[in-house]
Amino acid sequence: MIHRALGHLLRCKDVSRLVSQREDRPLTRWERWRLRMHLALCDGCTRFDAQVRFLRRAMRHYRA
Amino acid sequence: MAEDFARQIETHRGYLLRVAQLQLRDRDAAEDVVQDTMLAALSGSGFAGKSSLKTWLTGILKHKIVDAIRRRQREPRVVATFGDLDSELDIEDFDGLFKDNGAWESKPADWGDPEESLGRREFFDIMDFCLEKLPPNTARVFMMREVMELESDEICAELAITSNNLWVILYRARMSLRECLEKNWFEGAGRHAP
Repeated sequence: MIHRALGHLLRCKDVSRLVSQREDRPLTRWERWRLRMHLALCDGCTRFDAQVRFLRRAMRHYRA
Repeated sequence: MAEDFARQIETHRGYLLRVAQLQLRDRDAAEDVVQDTMLAALSGSGFAGKSSLKTWLTGILKHKIVDAIRRRQREPRVVATFGDLDSELDIEDFDGLFKDNGAWESKPADWGDPEESLGRREFFDIMDFCLEKLPPNTARVFMMREVMELESDEICAELAITSNNLWVILYRARMSLRECLEKNWFEGAGRHAP
């Protein structure tokens, strides 16, 4: 049971790719759910997530 | 008065041309969009002086470039303009950032309140520095997505690449920029300089 639950957990490496793709395509419900589960437990990825969102805001301010 | 304005606009031509050239990779097309931008700037009454002239012109140019890309998309093209992509598609160079079990090798740092950086010119100097360190095509794709705000499918169509390629390129760009900003701004001395 616990193993099956762990099997659904994403690794930080996968989360970083998903967080980036979220900026470019809608994530599926399943992806969003797994992402949320991981972020709830991982402060490194929570920071990464906020930083990627910030990067988008920064580029909106950017004028080449 | 009008001549004065025209002369002021003219001083930005070189800069506009560089931006257009970077995006379109075609000298003639770049000159066309810059010409259109100058004409639009002169005929319109849109400049209210709220932003700098340069920023305002860049805004017009952005729309002209997007139009040019969309137009190009509808025309059949023989030659792909996107060269040497393979070397920029290797996602594995970021494996060093993660341990074998997929966890962060060194976790992203705490950036505190990053919003205040958006009002700092020095922050955008560092951003320029970090953008220039990206491989050329990666930088170009990232600018299409984040500065020109093109949709993913428009970029894929323009560059004849798959969505997967696009995501890999943008992932690369974000990973590199994040790391570079962290090192040179958020954890560097620049942010706290007077």
